[in-house]
Amino acid sequence: MTPAASILTIEDDLVLGAYVHEHLERSGFQVTWCQNGQQGLDMARARAFDVVLMDILLPGLDGLSILTDLRKSHSTPVILMSALGAEADRVSGFRLGADDYLPKPFSMLELRVRIEAILRRVALDRRPLPARPALCEDVPGLRFDDELEDVFHQQHAAGLTRSEFRLLETLHRNAEEVLSKAFLYQHVLQRGYAPHDRSLDMHISQIRRKLKAIGYTEREVRTVWGRGYTLSGRDDSL
Amino acid sequence: MTAFERPLTRLPGKHSLFWKLACLLIAFCLLMIWLSWSWGRYMEQQNAYLSEEAKFTLGGYAAGAEQAWNRGGHAGVDAWLQMLGARETTWVGVIGNDLQSLSSSPLSSSESQRLTFLRGLDWPVSRHVKGLPWLKIAFPTDPEAGSLVIELPQRFMPGRYQVFWRVVTNGVIPGLFTLLLCIGLYRLLIMPLNQLREQANAWRADQLNTRLSQDATSRQDELGELGRAFDHMSERLQGTVVLQQQLLRDMSHELRTPLSRLRVACDSEQDLAQLRERLGREIDAMQRLVEDSLQLAWLDAERAPLVKEAIQLQALWDMLRENVCFESDWPASRLPCLLGPECWVRGNLNGLAQALENILRNAIRHSPTGGVVCLDGRREGEYWHLWLEDQGGGIDERDLERIFAPFTRLDGSRPGDGGFGLGLSIARNALQRQDGSLWAENTGAGLRMHLRLPAL
Repeated sequence: MTPAASILTIEDDLVLGAYVHEHLERSGFQVTWCQNGQQGLDMARARAFDVVLMDILLPGLDGLSILTDLRKSHSTPVILMSALGAEADRVSGFRLGADDYLPKPFSMLELRVRIEAILRRVALDRRPLPARPALCEDVPGLRFDDELEDVFHQQHAAGLTRSEFRLLETLHRNAEEVLSKAFLYQHVLQRGYAPHDRSLDMHISQIRRKLKAIGYTEREVRTVWGRGYTLSGRDDSL
Repeated sequence: MTAFERPLTRLPGKHSLFWKLACLLIAFCLLMIWLSWSWGRYMEQQNAYLSEEAKFTLGGYAAGAEQAWNRGGHAGVDAWLQMLGARETTWVGVIGNDLQSLSSSPLSSSESQRLTFLRGLDWPVSRHVKGLPWLKIAFPTDPEAGSLVIELPQRFMPGRYQVFWRVVTNGVIPGLFTLLLCIGLYRLLIMPLNQLREQANAWRADQLNTRLSQDATSRQDELGELGRAFDHMSERLQGTVVLQQQLLRDMSHELRTPLSRLRVACDSEQDLAQLRERLGREIDAMQRLVEDSLQLAWLDAERAPLVKEAIQLQALWDMLRENVCFESDWPASRLPCLLGPECWVRGNLNGLAQALENILRNAIRHSPTGGVVCLDGRREGEYWHLWLEDQGGGIDERDLERIFAPFTRLDGSRPGDGGFGLGLSIARNALQRQDGSLWAENTGAGLRMHLRLPAL
């Protein structure tokens, strides 16, 4: 990470807040910790943070109202944390413009993965679109067609859906690199990742079936347990 | 109730209260009209005739007049009339058969008009008499000789109690009958409602096992329907409360167990690394328990419609298989899917994935070494009927339904253990929320879980 990313945490629980603060600082982030909703909103408006991390149940002003107010003027990425965990809560969070939703309890590793996924997605979004490298024919046996949003192997179309194509393309651009589920959700499906959400896994399953159906076996989408997915050569044991 | 929902489009049913009420009210109206009409007539007739006393007195006068005429002629009649004039204030005369006065003074013209009973031109033409009626009483022994004519004395005028009887027939008696009708309606309509209220009050006092009386629920009309619906509701309420209490009891047990294990670990473990490892294990188990229990509760409580999409079972199975193979070290070849690529269902991906994953994990947990778990199915009209079969030996027939209740763990009979007994309840709830169903069957070799899902 180039300059240390700045994070604003709005969390009223002293123990958890202190722990998150300490942990994120140790991970190399620049952390500002605020324990009150209204104060948090003022700070988020006054300074440009890279990520805002906040609880939903807060004294002063609750997380969802802060999010609504903040979204009127700022597009700072927001990760909501909540112990409520109801599906409806998650959905309303996303509808109000949250970038991710982290149900409590969570591990610090999980939190870091989510923050990095968002930072990486933001970096990708900000980067001026490079003239797309000629994707066609640069992989032996697999041709990406941006117009049709499909891949071909020996003239056979795989019949991917839009999301599947975007997913395979993302994996392909970062070939041999493990991409976290959190990042793939952010970048491809444009929403946060939840433990019970199986859409991404299902897309991966379909991609595998479709690649197999057109006889493409040089590389495959592999699962790296606990970390994410990667597109790699078949015999590469991870 | 049907009668109120579609008031004009359909006639109320045969047993509806409508017919009872209609018959009752129509009968009541007819009865009242008939009663007041016939009683009124009867009373009027009763009041139109002279009393026995009046007849006797007036008959006596006629006899007196005859005697006076026979004894004294004109002069005798004059004297008798004078004597009677002192007793009666009304007009009295004695006439012969030629309608001429038998007294010495002749009849005035108005008097003779009265005698002929002819109305004057300007008299009211009414059934009722104007003024006091004039009576002609023939002489009792020789009616040919003459008659006594007398304007009826006021005290003999019938119908003195007419107002009283009118009040009775037109006021008191209809009032009494209406009161009776009200009592009838009250017993018919309000008493059952009172019973319902009493039952509702009984619930407030936590007596959920009280039910309505037999005759309240066996009625054929709307109130019977209401009573039955009420009973049905109280049954469901009782069921839910019992289930909740059971859940709470089970949960407090399940939550305390890992806590006490934590406490023991905290007290006894000396080695920090081992303590850490034990704590991590217990926290994982607790988190799983809390998440599963809460999810079960949310599945029950949430009523928002699910997002549904087309799901290909083959792809779903591949995804789940990859996960469970990693968890359980099973080779994928022991988890075959016999369904073709044409098997697409309509459902909520996350719910269906979780249900199938729970069922699959359960099957794997109870499989013998080297056992196979396979998924198969066929299309049945608008639905896909899928089944997942293991070789774990099956369970007792009596437990086939019980395994879907939360925190049910069958002991001993099947290999494998672990879990909180929530997986199948969550699976069933999740499937029911997307219009599917889940049930179990013994195959002899193992347990077969049937799933029924709407086809695409």
